[in-house]
Formats: sequence, C-alpha cells, structure tokens
Amino acid sequence: MVPRTNILGKRVGKIDPGSLPAYVASGGFLALRKALTLQPEEIVHEIMAAHLIGRGGAAFSAGFKWAAVRRETARPKYVVCNADESEPGTFKDRYLLEGDPFRIVEAMAISAYAVGANRGFLYVRGEYPLAYKRLAHAVAESRRAGYLGLNLWNTEFCFDIEIYRGAGAYVCGEETALFESIEGRRGQPRLKPPFPTTNGLFGQPTLINNVETLANVPDIVLNGGQWYRTLGPLTNPGPKLYAVSGHVRKPGVYEATMDLTLQELIYELAGGIPGGRRVQAVLVGGAAGTFLRPDQLDVALGFDTLRTIGATLGSGAVMVLDDSVDLWNVLRRVTRFFQHESCGKCFPCQLGTQRQAEIVTRLAAGNVHPGDGAALTDIGLTMRDASICGLGQMASSALLSAFSQFSLLPREDEL
Amino acid sequence: MTETTETFTYDYPAIEAIVTRHEAKGRAGLLPCLQEIQAFTGWLTPDICQLVGRRLDVPLADIYGVIDFYTLLYREPVGKTIIRVCDDMACYLNGSEEVLSSFKKWLGIGPGETTPDGKYTLEVHPCLGYCDLAPMAMMGDDVHGHLTPDKVADLLEVK
Ligand SMILES: Cc1cc2nc3c(=O)[nH]c(=O)nc-3n(C[C@H](O)[C@H](O)[C@H](O)COP(=O)(O)O)c2cc1C
Ligand code: SF4
Repeated sequence: MVPRTNILGKRVGKIDPGSLPAYVASGGFLALRKALTLQPEEIVHEIMAAHLIGRGGAAFSAGFKWAAVRRETARPKYVVCNADESEPGTFKDRYLLEGDPFRIVEAMAISAYAVGANRGFLYVRGEYPLAYKRLAHAVAESRRAGYLGLNLWNTEFCFDIEIYRGAGAYVCGEETALFESIEGRRGQPRLKPPFPTTNGLFGQPTLINNVETLANVPDIVLNGGQWYRTLGPLTNPGPKLYAVSGHVRKPGVYEATMDLTLQELIYELAGGIPGGRRVQAVLVGGAAGTFLRPDQLDVALGFDTLRTIGATLGSGAVMVLDDSVDLWNVLRRVTRFFQHESCGKCFPCQLGTQRQAEIVTRLAAGNVHPGDGAALTDIGLTMRDASICGLGQMASSALLSAFSQFSLLPREDEL
Repeated sequence: MTETTETFTYDYPAIEAIVTRHEAKGRAGLLPCLQEIQAFTGWLTPDICQLVGRRLDVPLADIYGVIDFYTLLYREPVGKTIIRVCDDMACYLNGSEEVLSSFKKWLGIGPGETTPDGKYTLEVHPCLGYCDLAPMAMMGDDVHGHLTPDKVADLLEVK
C-alpha cells in the first residue's frame, strides 16, 4: 500500500489560507500555546527525539541545530525561515506557503521560543508573489490577533517576524548567502566555520530552517517525538513532500512517509507516464541531484536509502523523463543553470561552471572532441572538492551521474 | 517634481516616503527599499540610487553592486510588464521552446529586449518553481501555466 500521509498538507486546498479564524478552527496555534507551557529545553528534546531531518537539501538533524542555538549565550538570537526555494523542479515549499501560511508563522514562533530568540526573519523567493502576499497577510493577521507580539498568552515570550523578499538569485538559498542578502549585500556565501548557530544573521546565533522542516514542528509539539518516529522508517521518520514534474500525468506535490518507492510515486500517485511512453531517466533532487535509471524505480525515497545507491533526496524534487527525450538537451539546461547562478566568489565554481556549460553545449550540438569526458570529470571533481559552497560542490552531480548511469559519450576510439 | 523615465512616471515624495520607511534599518533596509521603489518606477535610475545611498548610508558603488547581483533588480529601463518565460528542465520537457518562440514571434523581440511601445520586456528564466504548471511563464506577478502558442496569443491579445 502506498504510504501516503496527510499531515503537512492537511489544510492545503481545504481551508481559506487567508483566514486566521479558519486556521484556528482547524487546530492552529494549539501547538504554540502548548509549547509556551513547556520549558524550551523540553521542546528541543522532542525535536531531537523525533529525529527530524532538515528538508532544505542538506539533510542535517534539526534537533542538533536547535540544541546548538539554544546553548549559545550571546544575545540577541534570531530564527530564520528559508523560503527561497529555487532548486529546479522544486515547488513543495510554495505549496505550503500558499496553502497554509499561518502554520509557518506558528512554527517559527515555536522555534524561537525553543532556542531563545525574539525576532524571526522569513526570506521568501522573489518569484513567489502569491506566497509573499499570503505570508504578509498571515503575519499581519497574527500580529493583530495577538499571536505575534509582546508577552504571548501573558508569558514572558515576545516574538515578531519580518519578511524579506529574494531578488532572483539561486545562491541566496544557501544559508550564509541568505544572511548577506538580508544584510543588504550581494548574496555571496560566507566561509564556514563559523556556522550560523554561533555567527549567523548580523553575526548573531541564528537558527535557520527550511519551510518544510518547520511545517513538521507543530505536530511534533502536539503529539510528541515518539509519535513522530512511528511514521515511516525509523531512520527517516515523518511525512515528506515530493514535488513531481516532467512526463507524468498528474504533476504536483505528494505527501508520504519515506518508505514510498519511486515506482509508487510515479505510477500510483502521479498517474504514470502519458502517451504510452516509458521512463528513460528520473532526476531526483533537482539540478543539484542525480539521475536514476528505469531499473532503479524500486528504491525507497528516503535520505539513507537513496544514499545507498549513490543518489541524494536533496530537496525532494522528482523529475521524470520519458524515452522521447534527448538527455543532452536536459544536461545543457542543468549546466547552463549553474553557469548562470554561480556567484563568482570562488574560482573552481566560477570557472568550472562556465567550462562545463561550454563543453556540454557543444556536445549537445553533436560536436564531440576527444577527451571531453575526461575534461568534464576533471572539472566536476575539482568543483566538488574545492568550491566554497554547495552550489559549486553539487554543480557537476547531475552531469556526472548521467555519465555513469547512461552511455552518453561515444567511446574515444570511435571518434 | 515629476520626472518621466521611458515608461514610468514617478514623483519624488512617494520615493522619499519609501526611503524614509527603511532608513532606520540602514543597510538591512537596502533590498526591500530598492524593491519597493522599483515596484513604482520599473527600474532604478542613477538619481534613485544616489538618494537611497545617501539616506541608508551605503556607498553608491555598493548599491550598483547589489543591483547587478540580483536578476530581479534593474539598472536599465524595462517594459511596463516583464514577461518571464521558464525554459528550464520541467518546462522544456513540456514544450517551453514552442512557447518561447510564440512569445518572440508575437512580441517581435528576443530575450532581454523591450517592445518599442515600452509595454513588454521578454526574459528567459531558470526554473521559476511552478513545474506542476509546465510550460509556464510569469507576466509581472501573474502566473500562467499549461501554455500553448494559442494561449500565448490570447495573453498578448494579438488575435
Ligand atoms: C546553492 C544552495 C541553495 C540552497 N537553497 C535552499 C533553499 O532554497 N531552501 C532551503 O531551505 N535550503 C536551501 N539550501 C540549504 C541551506 O543552506 C540550509 O542548509 C537550509 O536552509 C537549512 O534548513 P534545514 O536544516 O531545515 O534543511 C541551499 C543550499 C545551497 C548550497
Ligand atoms: S561555490 Fe560557486 S556559488 Fe558557492 S561561493 Fe563559490 S562561486 Fe559562489
């Protein structure tokens, strides 16, 4: 049976996302209210017990991060919601932001209480105007009704949220680039360490989490970490959103636990491949992801299960390519994307993404030179090992995985 | 004083009011300040940049550096409506090349160009995050999905 869940998306499309009363009537703000009766450490403990894994792409333990920020003694501390979602093929955060914006407000407030912050920043992608409008409305309404502001429920806790809009730069989803952007500078990543938990936004201890990560928080607070661990596989518990696109009958966002297989996602949830065609390849994790072959569809879409076959779940984007597609046209777009989005701060990525795109564009036009494969591998591994941030480190991932999964390049002796 | 850029009319008091609202935040007010002004004026003229720099205490060179870093900020005149056509993977798989060609055909311009009447600027964009609607494009803030050459003609009211 397909392990679908209806936790993260339970309000999406069901209630008016602009209505605070509708949110409250469907159990909204109960979790924040409960959280304020607990000690902050107890909440961090529940997040830790839930084994909540970050959904922004890096798959880092949320509890570990919350505990680290909690421990910091410097003041002020900040919480940041990363809603810059720009990984090609990814639209699951938009689904939550547009469909249940109050949940993100509530989750940010809980996270702030848990780590000892009083100010939150929400950085939403510039190309998401509707999400921005709904978030701005949700923040304003929450403030007006006393769910944000001073001494919530007559406790000591004060919290408010400021919204920033991105301005069209993929790299600003990288956490330290996002801080730079809020601080009014070019969105170029910082060298790490120091990490955001000690030196984040405005140099202060900062908790930064992805939209979907935060969306898990209210239910964990209400039902406990132990409950959460019963959902799906023990190592990768909890609901996950998958954004399915490309050649499927019903593209969209699907929610399931992480024992869901790729086969089930494509054929049972997304309706299969249109036009009687067959799967040629599946790109999992977006432009920074990896290609899978049609004989690998029985893999479960968890962080660890994908790792065992050399792939990553990344942002949870699943793009299906049928057997009519010229893969080179897709690879050309992947490499063009990184060429365009490299911030230029470090040379392996700045130069590598350009050379990579040039060679792939030439190959896509059918013009193969001897040594192309070796050159692309060399560029790719150099970027992976020597770039400052994840953009450069992952810029060759899809391309190199395509080379190892499919025989795309002619043998050198045939040239 | 009222000034006219190629396609927009703006008045300084409105812009001053925006700057005043963001002034207290200093540099952290820069991005929202530029975005709000641009929503009025379409693009960021040199005198706007100078005003913002003076009041938010940011060097002019840094302001230009910031604007040039971000795809959605403009230092050159643009059309009244910016059309952003997604030509990334998911849209390509669903026919974005045809959609882009019909935008080009009906507008009579290429990517990066503005129609002579100043109505539209055409841009080709990396993934805009609406892959469930592929192939898609944004016209200003409006999202248009499942596009076909016919629908493009309807949108541009050229039929
Ligand atoms: C180039 C690049 C782009 C990223 N884009 C995003 C993004 O759009 N949204 C996001 O949540 N995380 C993004 N990340 C990951 C963030 O740096 C960070 O790990 C994440 O926001 C942490 O949240 P989480 O622990 O809840 O996943 C990106 C990372 C890199 C290197
Ligand atoms: S890896 Fe690329 S995007 Fe990241 S800092 Fe270096 S140049 Fe910038």
